[in-house]
Amino acid sequence: MKNGPLFFFGLFVALTLSWAGTVLLSNHQLGALTPFYDENESASFPLRQPGVAARGQLVYADLGCASCHTQQVRRPDFGSDLARGWGERQSVARDYIFQARVQLGTSRVGPDLTNLGARKPAYDAEDLMKFLYTGMIPGTKVVTHPPCTYLFDERAIVGETSKLALNLTGGFTPAAGCQIVPTEGAQSLVAFLLSLNNTYDYPESRPMPVEKAKPEAAKK
Amino acid sequence: MTTVQTNASHEVTAIDTAARWPLLLLIHASIKWLVLSGVLALIGSIQLVQPVFLSTCAIFAHGRIVAMQESIFIYGWAANAGLALALWILGRLGGSPLRAMNWVVVGTLAWNVALVLGLIGIATGDATSIAFLQLPRYVQLLMVVAYGAIAVPGVLAWAGRRTEGTFAAQWYAVAALFLFPWLFSAAQLMLLWSPVRGTLQAVAGGWFSQGIWTLWLAPLALAPAYYIVPKVTGRALPSYEFAPHSFWCLLVVGGFTGGRHLVGGPVPAWIASLAIVSCVLLLFHYFVVFMNLRGGLGRGSTASRLVAVGLLAYVLGGLVDAITAFRGVAAITQFTFVEVAQQQLALYAGFTLILLGAIYFAVPRLLGRGWFSANLVIGHAAIAFTGVALLVVSLLGAGWVQGHDLLDAKISFADIAIHTRPWLLAATAAQGILLLGNLLLLVNFLETACAGCCASATPTENPFREPSTMEATAS
Amino acid sequence: MSTPPHSDPGLEQAAASDESLLAAHEKLLGKKPDDQANYRLLPLSLLFVFSGLIFFAGTYLNLYSGHFDPHVYNEHALPHKGGVEVVKIDPRELGKKLFNNAACNTCHQVTGLGQPGIYPPLVGSEWVLGTEERVIRIVLYGLQGKVTVKGTDYSAAAMPSFGKVAGSGFNWSDDKIAAVLTYVRSEWGNNAAAITAAQVAAIHAKEGDRKAWTAEELAKLP
Repeated sequence: MKNGPLFFFGLFVALTLSWAGTVLLSNHQLGALTPFYDENESASFPLRQPGVAARGQLVYADLGCASCHTQQVRRPDFGSDLARGWGERQSVARDYIFQARVQLGTSRVGPDLTNLGARKPAYDAEDLMKFLYTGMIPGTKVVTHPPCTYLFDERAIVGETSKLALNLTGGFTPAAGCQIVPTEGAQSLVAFLLSLNNTYDYPESRPMPVEKAKPEAAKK
Repeated sequence: MTTVQTNASHEVTAIDTAARWPLLLLIHASIKWLVLSGVLALIGSIQLVQPVFLSTCAIFAHGRIVAMQESIFIYGWAANAGLALALWILGRLGGSPLRAMNWVVVGTLAWNVALVLGLIGIATGDATSIAFLQLPRYVQLLMVVAYGAIAVPGVLAWAGRRTEGTFAAQWYAVAALFLFPWLFSAAQLMLLWSPVRGTLQAVAGGWFSQGIWTLWLAPLALAPAYYIVPKVTGRALPSYEFAPHSFWCLLVVGGFTGGRHLVGGPVPAWIASLAIVSCVLLLFHYFVVFMNLRGGLGRGSTASRLVAVGLLAYVLGGLVDAITAFRGVAAITQFTFVEVAQQQLALYAGFTLILLGAIYFAVPRLLGRGWFSANLVIGHAAIAFTGVALLVVSLLGAGWVQGHDLLDAKISFADIAIHTRPWLLAATAAQGILLLGNLLLLVNFLETACAGCCASATPTENPFREPSTMEATAS
Repeated sequence: MSTPPHSDPGLEQAAASDESLLAAHEKLLGKKPDDQANYRLLPLSLLFVFSGLIFFAGTYLNLYSGHFDPHVYNEHALPHKGGVEVVKIDPRELGKKLFNNAACNTCHQVTGLGQPGIYPPLVGSEWVLGTEERVIRIVLYGLQGKVTVKGTDYSAAAMPSFGKVAGSGFNWSDDKIAAVLTYVRSEWGNNAAAITAAQVAAIHAKEGDRKAWTAEELAKLP
């Protein structure tokens, strides 16, 4: 460490090695991953995001939804991801190639959202809007999600009620002559959530036979 | 047993007085950010048990609170305090007063202005949702430049040091100063300016967030730890001949732990395998750090006790990291509060306690006078120990319950929230306790700095004992 | 080392000066002659531990890295030899999808009953259930002119060509044609043998490019 330049060079090499070993190598392998063309369907998968969904993904990032929700389904022997109906297969890199800001997430305070658009029972835009506004899952009476009322405007009804206005009941009914209308942010967020649909099976996503781990495997 | 003969010098010298106000400016900023981070952590923790809390205002959306808290903790508290102590140590061990300290003042102002702008950006909707890189990209260039300005005196002190020989504290300090700009700029390029495709963003993000810990924050904490432990014990570090190996082990292997949180995820299996292996290899580093600095346990007073507990947490954190990296364990702990507990073990119990101890050690020397109130120092340490222990244990408990509930597909998320609630309430209480402790530090620091500022430049009596000469024992 | 006259618990006293700290540790890093021939256990054991960790790392990577293949997501499943496994798709499923994908169902309807007087039915049709030779040719190349199905004459519409032949608007592969025929011959109570892609390919190769068939031409075939 007495040799100044050599010390700095060593530090730089240490950083570069790990960068090359993880980021550069994986980019070399997956950076040019193409969509998968299915001749039988005459279409490429994954489908491109509609523009409104791409905008919604930025709303998702800005509100930090990823601090409680993941967007990745792990393979069958990992937790209950498949049993909870989050997807029929594990997520693979190809699912995400058209997403501008991939947010896999690191916390599951709330459920995974990878496949929300293909979930059963299916939620429609109206359900999700109401959920975001009230924080209550349709059909329940408990607030489990922070109510995102800031994604909605309360407006006076001028003339006809807006087509987008939420049809709220109970304690949430807006004051007479008012309506609750989702903002553009809410609309694009919901469009993004409903565009999440990873039902297509890629060759690499099919469950592969799990070989029995060899007995001498150094498993700690 | 051999004895090295050197003249015992005064404990507080011109090196400290020359660096006094610029470094106190950095420390001042860091403590204020620490308190603010505590407030936001408390809000975020309350929101986890009470989703309605402050939820109607977009600025207080839980995701934004988490993003702001994380940014303030890393770029407000950790960066300011870590840089101040790294500069101080490099100056002292370099043997001459730090040069170019005006750069530090300008850099500190620019850095903190950039951080405030970035936080306003997050609050108004520009958060990036990338771990440890939440600040919007328009402030990040300014931050790199400001960082460079702050780091200049440190590099000058290293290059112009009096003695040819170097000490472990210097290596870690220089490594942290030098590596952060590269790491930060590379991550910005790959994630914000010209994003890589698809899940490669997760790989690059993982490399960055693990790199921030292993290549920047951990060295920033180890530098004061390696400095303070032998200073306080007066004995050379045992097994010190392994310190260089441990240092290079951390730097070379640390960055490879990037796939740590991608186990089972949509990235090729080798990325996670490589990270698991790296986490295990890092055990060597943690083991040597423990061997080197074990002398600091149970000696000295409050400051070194904080450092010692922080070091224990640091080593324990490394061990837990290696265990939970394995796929069999990760299948349960991944995506749960166990990961939050681990992060708190590293960032709070490890990093923050060491830095708090180092601040309690350094500020009296920078000012040439003792702390305003010794009771506040002792009180803060006691509160910090209680709070950290409660926080980590309660988060581990919450994570354990959550992890097992998640495995059973029949348990709904509403039920998981009910099951984890008592633990999360305890964690909220812990955040409150920690915030209280940090307020004590803020008060004590302001009083001490005011006393040093208003009173005559030379205190009436020198409170420092003259240090004796260290003996180099052969083991 | 002497105890300080007064000890402030908030003030940490230093027991060593910076110069001596530097010098003492620099000395520790230097090479020392082993005067007392001490057998020191720690360096050896640390070396042993580190080698053990590296050995473990190598073994683990060897077993669970999936050969560093970008498409291996499960470390227990090694990459397939000889490329990606071709999935078997049920031809009836594919045929159903093709039939109902605005190609066949527009005229012959989802029910396979066609439109009386315009489009002939497929249910119970002697052309569909009869020899493969004719039905494959019809779908491959199309059919023009009058055709009699179940005793009724149809001449209002022409069957387009679906195969990969000149002038076809569909360009279906032989696989797809086999699949859709298999579906048609086994749906709605129809019960004729499945048609393989090989049969379609054989006829396609034999006839090459040609225009649509007429019922008379087909009737001459065996």
